[in-house]
Amino acid sequence: MAETSMALRSRALVAESRHLLFTVAPGAIWIFVFLVLPSAYLMGVAFMTTGPYGLPEMPLSLDSFRRLAGFGFLGWSPGNLYTLLRSLWQTLVSTALVVVIAYPIAYYITTCREKWRPIMLLVVVVPSWTNQVIRTFGWMNLLAPGTPLAGLAESVGLINPNMGLYPSNFAVTLGLVYNFLPFMVLPLYAAFEKLDTAQVQAAQDLYASPVRAFWHAVFPQTLPGLLAGTVLVAIPAFGMYVIPELLGGGKGMMLGNLVANQFAGSANWPLGAAGAILMLIATFIGLFAMRRVGKRLGGGEEVVI
Amino acid sequence: MKKRTLQRGLGVFWWLTLVFLYLPLVVVMVFSFNSANSAAHFTGISLRWYRRLLGNEEILSAFANSMVLAITSSVIALVIGCLIGYGMYRHRHRKLGWLIVLIYLPIVLPDIVFGISEMTFFVQIHRLTGILQPGIETMIIAHVTFQIPFVALIVYSRFVGLDPSLFEAAKDLYASPWQRALHFMLPTIKPALLSAFFLSFTLSIDDFVISFFTAGPESATLPIYIWGAIKKGVSPEINAIATLMIGAVAIAAVLSLIFSYRRQR
Amino acid sequence: MTPSTMAPDTGTREPGTAQARDIDRRDVRQASSIDLRGLHKRFGKTTIALDGVDLTIEAGEFFTLLGPSGCGKTTLLRILAGLEEPDAGSLRIGDRDITDTPPHKRSVNTVFQSYALFPHLSVRDNLAFGLRMQGIPLEQRKAKVAEIADFIQLGDLVERRVDRLSGGQRQRIALARALICEPNVLLLDEPLSALDAGLRGQLQVELQRIQKRLGMTFVFVTHDQDEAMVMSDRIAVLDSGIIQQVGTPSEVYEHPVNAFVARFMGHDNLFAIQRSADNWVDTDLGRLQLDPAQQRSEQQGWLLIRPETLELGGDVPAGYNRLEGIVKERLYRGSRIEYRLEVNGVTLMAVASNLGQRLHAVDDRVTISVCPEDLVRVAA
Repeated sequence: MAETSMALRSRALVAESRHLLFTVAPGAIWIFVFLVLPSAYLMGVAFMTTGPYGLPEMPLSLDSFRRLAGFGFLGWSPGNLYTLLRSLWQTLVSTALVVVIAYPIAYYITTCREKWRPIMLLVVVVPSWTNQVIRTFGWMNLLAPGTPLAGLAESVGLINPNMGLYPSNFAVTLGLVYNFLPFMVLPLYAAFEKLDTAQVQAAQDLYASPVRAFWHAVFPQTLPGLLAGTVLVAIPAFGMYVIPELLGGGKGMMLGNLVANQFAGSANWPLGAAGAILMLIATFIGLFAMRRVGKRLGGGEEVVI
Repeated sequence: MKKRTLQRGLGVFWWLTLVFLYLPLVVVMVFSFNSANSAAHFTGISLRWYRRLLGNEEILSAFANSMVLAITSSVIALVIGCLIGYGMYRHRHRKLGWLIVLIYLPIVLPDIVFGISEMTFFVQIHRLTGILQPGIETMIIAHVTFQIPFVALIVYSRFVGLDPSLFEAAKDLYASPWQRALHFMLPTIKPALLSAFFLSFTLSIDDFVISFFTAGPESATLPIYIWGAIKKGVSPEINAIATLMIGAVAIAAVLSLIFSYRRQR
Repeated sequence: MTPSTMAPDTGTREPGTAQARDIDRRDVRQASSIDLRGLHKRFGKTTIALDGVDLTIEAGEFFTLLGPSGCGKTTLLRILAGLEEPDAGSLRIGDRDITDTPPHKRSVNTVFQSYALFPHLSVRDNLAFGLRMQGIPLEQRKAKVAEIADFIQLGDLVERRVDRLSGGQRQRIALARALICEPNVLLLDEPLSALDAGLRGQLQVELQRIQKRLGMTFVFVTHDQDEAMVMSDRIAVLDSGIIQQVGTPSEVYEHPVNAFVARFMGHDNLFAIQRSADNWVDTDLGRLQLDPAQQRSEQQGWLLIRPETLELGGDVPAGYNRLEGIVKERLYRGSRIEYRLEVNGVTLMAVASNLGQRLHAVDDRVTISVCPEDLVRVAA
């Protein structure tokens, strides 16, 4: 009896494993072959020598990393370093601005009548359903020379006559904020909706001052949403390509453009691959840091990406 | 009293934010009807840019490419992602950490790294074997890769939200494994499948970077065409295509609203 | 229960004409017995859910598995349904071994604790689901749904949507969905636990009535001993994966075999036996005479005194044990009065029916008469 039940159990286990294989394997293999392998190949390219047409060649070398750090034929130049710092700065500023706008908006939606809330959320999200290129093109139209906005900036003396507000770093920041605002509103709204109002009332009872009530009772409860939103905004913002390409020009270039340029026009695959590795490292450091903060807060599942 | 002021202030802020969100889109739409070739001065209403669109072979083929790409990739991703989502649910008590990492990888990877990885990989494979020439096939493969995780997570969370005894009730009521899939699981997750398909479709249409790097010379999609047109110099023709695309999104938004309200009722 | 109140006669019910596929089904009126031998089940490496269960359930019996949570009663029920496989042991329903039969081929249906109504289907389609899966044609399905709706008196519930039903309504639909398949055995997994007290009492009576009318074998799981006693023909009390006692409600209540069963059935008056002889025992209460007729060989263990058998005040009849106690607490419960007494420094509970007699006050000294025949020895 014992043997037959053991046999039965192992047979069941085999059946379960086969089931796991049939359901999970197609997708897992797909992602492995079409994403993990290509990424691994790209990593490898970073350690190869640049050939005559910018294509990778043997032998292995660390040359591309030296080039990325700014060492060229003419000695050291800070261009790439500036690009990296600009990427970090743009990410920081645009994320902060997105938080400043999204926080009151998310709160405002939760104070409105329940039947309006889905529509309000939809209204916030719909612009992001249109293509990124089109949205950015819209801003090009708005910021171009001769438009009312450019005229306003000109009359205040912010820009020279007959210049537009783009290409500029300001335009890139604006584009990033515009692009990522919905990604912050949604998780914040979810956090506000779950808000335990009893805590807020208790805080108002105890502290009286609304500022302190907010700081001690409301803000901590929205932190998981804030964190989730930051992950959704900061990480893609750091790797952004379209917006700096269209609104930034040469002086507004970010890391994504630096990398992309090595695969088009003046090709240098190993240099681009090295840049991609730098981007990945920054991305994973960012994710890891957010995860740590999220765990320390004892945050919910939504934080742990 | 103070609270009312705060509420009113927030209301004003809300409308200002809406202006911020919709102004660029409205400008594009308004200037698509501009009779002059200018982004700064509106001289009069005309449909000349739309008429010009209809005669443009390149735009029509870009539109067709976008549709083929979005529909094909969404269908493939729906099948594969749905299987993974179910597998993840069914075997959720096992250690599947590697699978979670694999599934989140396409989501967290920056678009540009994603696109370039695929591009270099496809180029090398094509050089070595002659298959996978950059074109619509490689674009479909790349799109499916980033759509799978979203489908899988939507399906998975739908299953997790179900009462586990429903699966047992189906067994108990004489449903064989195939009958369970056909008469219980598929109908139960149908709303999740619909929204997964819709999301996949939107992600595909919305993508530019990954398409841009995996496209071949013959397989430009609408965003790639627009990109090229912008790079060549702004033309009001772009306003017209963009307006049509914004219109499609607006229709989709209204439909999704109707859909969600009907489901509530 | 008066048979005349039961409306349509079960005799007019068509027997399961559409014999479907390979499901082993028998005529309902020949309900099946269940025979479990040496069932073992463990989860993981350490958690033992069933530790050698042997049990026979008679055909047409209302049988209850009773025990605290984690005792193995639900595991046993799930093994009967085929939703869990035993590690060892065998399972027969009627004269057929179904140990290895998958759930969808067993003529056994379950009423789940959460009811598990399919949210994507209407009530009508929920009811017909089991028949449809068996390949029974539409016309017959319609007839059977109408029949069951009439039998359980569902009224217009059939036309409703599942998410518009109350708890009690869901419960009735879940029951109807299982009964419509005319299984050999119906399993009920705490089906009343989510309902409020009033509705629960009502459905207890209704369930029992339905079972008697159909003559079907019901296996019912609950942790509520009152519910078990009200409904069951026989009860099995489980603890730690072992069946502690099987018997009719009165056997289990009045003569629990061990201290666990006694405590679980709600008895408070248990006293450790210090010494004993043929017809007496020594406990903290003092020496008490026993009825020699119900001697047990083992001498250690516990003495059980049911509170309702104690007589307070008045003369002690000849042959009765006499105790002296002080009233420490009195609870007026309407139909009865509960006293907490102190006898020789230990607590003794007594319950008297409220027949309008003079109540004893707190701190009163009372004599207590204990009939030797009401004293029960219980194993440790």
